[in-house]
Amino acid sequence: MSFLDAVLIVVSVYAALVLIRVVIGPTIWDRLLGLNMISSKIIMSIIILSVVTDRSFLLDIALVYSFLGFIGTVLIARFVETRGEI
Amino acid sequence: MIVETISNTLIVLSLLFMFFGVYGIFRFTDFYSRILISSKVETVGFLTLMAGIMLKNGFGYSTLKIMFICLVVIVTNPLSTHAVARSALVSGYKISKENEG
Repeated sequence: MSFLDAVLIVVSVYAALVLIRVVIGPTIWDRLLGLNMISSKIIMSIIILSVVTDRSFLLDIALVYSFLGFIGTVLIARFVETRGEI
Repeated sequence: MIVETISNTLIVLSLLFMFFGVYGIFRFTDFYSRILISSKVETVGFLTLMAGIMLKNGFGYSTLKIMFICLVVIVTNPLSTHAVARSALVSGYKISKENEG
């Protein structure tokens, strides 16, 4: 097992720990915060995977995923803020 | 050889930063404290990890693409955190009594 494989496992464990906060979060904004952090962790995992397996097309997927995570978080936050009217 | 050592050190440092972020969202009891700790520490951890991976990768198109993803994340990560905090403030979420002052 190489060094980057161990890093990938540790990042996955962090994402699972943040998922606990998403489940037990008292308010909806805690859940949004957890969603944002998990999205960031997934981008890191995709980039490490692309370096480990030497496939550079995964970087494009990471770029698209970062934009999609940003748009999703901002839209849900704005939806909650205006109480249903975007 | 020395580049490998530096990049491994950067990656371990970024894992330490991210551990502080994950520990902080369980340690703090108020939402605003949690969002403060998570936004800063997450951005720093991401950038440090990407710096280590870029150093490990060497020159090439992959490094350029990772740099572009870093630019995107620098812009969008504080923006989404700001949107969540502003949503909580506008919706009337109050700091609880034992956390004031």
